[in-house]
Formats: sequence, C-alpha cells, structure tokens
Amino acid sequence: MTRRFRPSRPSRRSLAVVAGAAVTALALTGCGGSEDSGPSASAKPELKVSGAYMPAPLSGDMATGFFTVTNSGGADTLTSVSSDAAADVTMHETKDGAMVEEDFFAVPADGRLAFASGGNHLMFEKLDHRPKEGDKVAVDLHFARSGTVEVEIPVKSATYVPKTGH
Amino acid sequence: MKRTKYTATAAALLAAAALTLTACGSDDASDPVAVVSEDASSKGAVTVLDQPFEKPDLVLTDTHGKKYDLRAETEKRPTLVYFGYTHCPDVCPLTMNNIAVAKKQLPRAEQDKLRVVFVTTDPKRDTPAELGKWLKGIDPDIVGLTGGFAKTQAAARSLGISIEPTTKDKNGKVVSTHGTQVIAFSPSTDKGYLLYSQDATVDDYTKDLPRIIDGRKP
Repeated sequence: MTRRFRPSRPSRRSLAVVAGAAVTALALTGCGGSEDSGPSASAKPELKVSGAYMPAPLSGDMATGFFTVTNSGGADTLTSVSSDAAADVTMHETKDGAMVEEDFFAVPADGRLAFASGGNHLMFEKLDHRPKEGDKVAVDLHFARSGTVEVEIPVKSATYVPKTGH
Repeated sequence: MKRTKYTATAAALLAAAALTLTACGSDDASDPVAVVSEDASSKGAVTVLDQPFEKPDLVLTDTHGKKYDLRAETEKRPTLVYFGYTHCPDVCPLTMNNIAVAKKQLPRAEQDKLRVVFVTTDPKRDTPAELGKWLKGIDPDIVGLTGGFAKTQAAARSLGISIEPTTKDKNGKVVSTHGTQVIAFSPSTDKGYLLYSQDATVDDYTKDLPRIIDGRKP
C-alpha cells in the first residue's frame, strides 16, 4: 500500500539511458526473467526454510504464518500446506490490496519464495487450540519436486516484526 | 512494479526506432487516490497529508448494539480510524495490536483521550457480538463499528481507502480487498492529517501517539 504514495525512484533514468543508446532493433526486457534461464531449472531443487514465525493469534479461529524458502537448486513449486494443529491451512497472496487464495506458489531456481506480513501469508483456520507465544506449531510444506518439508513454526508475540525485514 | 511502466515510456520515447520493450507486470493501473507528500524521515510508515481529510459522516452500530455517530462521538478527540475485518489473519490484527500495545504505554489520562475506531468491511460476518469478542482480545477500549457496507465503503472512499465486499472468484476462492491505512484525526481540527501504512510498527505508534493526542505532527 505504501508504494502508492511513493514518488517514483531514479532507477528509470539508468534504463532510459541504456535504451537510448540501443536505438535499433533490440528486445529489451524490463525485469529479470532469470527463472527460466540456465541449466539450473532442471536441476534438483535444494530448499531451505528459514525465518518461520506465527504471530500469537487472538483465538483458535484463525492464525497466520510466515517463512522464507531459499532455493539453491532447480525450480520447485509449493503446492499445499497442512498442519495437524488446524483443520484448514490455505495460502494467500496480496495483489493490489486484495487478498487472494492461491493453489500454488513458484519457488524459482536459485531464488526464494517469501511469505511475509503484508504479502504472501498462510491462513490457519479452526485450530485445535489457541497457540500462545512460545509454542511451536508443526507444519508440513508440500513441494511438487522436493516432497514434504516439516517446519516447526515458533509462535511469537502478536506484534512481532522480523529483524531482517521483508 | 509500477515504476517500470514509466520507465518503459521514457525509454521508448528515447529509443525512437523499432524496439520491443517489455515492461514487467504493470498490473498497477489504479490511480493514486490521494496526492500526498511523503515524510522521508519516517521510513514511509507515516505520511503527513498536504490536504487533510474531513472526518466521514458515518453512523453505524457499535459492539454494544448501540448507534454510534463517528463525528459526534469523536469530536475534539484524537482519533485513529481503520477499516478491516475479523476474518483477516495478517494485517488487521497486527495493526490493531500495534496500536493497542503502543497505547498501553501512554499515561492513563492520555489513553482516555484517544479514540481508536475499527470499522468492519465485512458486516455480514462481523456482527456487533463477533466484533466485540474479537476486539476484546486486542483492547476492549477499541470502538468496533458494523453496519451497512455501502455506507462504510463511502466513508472509506472519502479517506482514500479502497474496500470491496468479500467475494469468491470462479474457483470458489475467497478474495478480500481492503486498504490497510490508519488515518489519524487531530483533536484540534477534527481532520484526518496523518496516514499510517501497514508497515507502521509498535515503535512508530509509541513515538507518535503522544503527538497525535496533542494534534501535533510526528
């Protein structure tokens, strides 16, 4: 939401200069489509999950969870998330202020997939109890190629902000 | 992503010849709803509005089932207004908790002056009782308002905040749209003069609330 009020950054100038110099027939790509380049796309994914946390929820009706998947190998896809602690776990993306449930999230080759407050988030519904700060919630992340990755998500305070930012 | 669109335009003008230009995902077609200048010192979490907002003329039902007239009830009170819904897992409880935690650090007399108003964008599910239960878990002093969606949407719109009814897309997936700004109204002018983004932390509110209570700029 903040970006809406932000004046545009000077990065445009550098690209304009590049384009101006090019002058003739030339295909210019505005942003890095690096996911589909290189041999790593078919390589085995190497996933690591870090920075997971759940802000202490107000009740057992609903909670959210965040984490980052870092991939040092080939592309993979997060296809679903499940937990014994909740009847439903769904994945949501924030697009232009709209929260939209998604069926899968791409984990780019040599890239990362971030679930962070204000952006992508997990939605836990109908938890068997209300998780409290200091608890851990066991969650299974299901990937198309890497299979299931088990994560213990620590429950932090309701106003916790990760130090590394998003 | 928004910026790339302008980038592409400028570059295309300069290039002037046969040139294929791809701007990545310019899905950000919406126009800014408020023209504001940003206070660079505050990491973008707070914006001082060049043209303050009028407080919306909004009469809804509070969590006790009573009629609540926003203008009358918050007249000459420092007031924070937020639009959200209780089935929101991420930003709504975070924002309300950030404000509640910051507020508790104020002296009692200042806490009593401050009004924090949460207006539901999902009045169908957020009945006065449901809303009251949810807010009690955050701070029972927060005023929860529910009522007609159209009225709520018009009030939000007047503050530059876009909200839509919660809908299901063609695949049956729930889509919820709501702006996540908090608007602070001054006790001296009753105008909305500060805008907080969802990135505002407990520390931001802790620092700013004493000033808001006096109607000063952060």
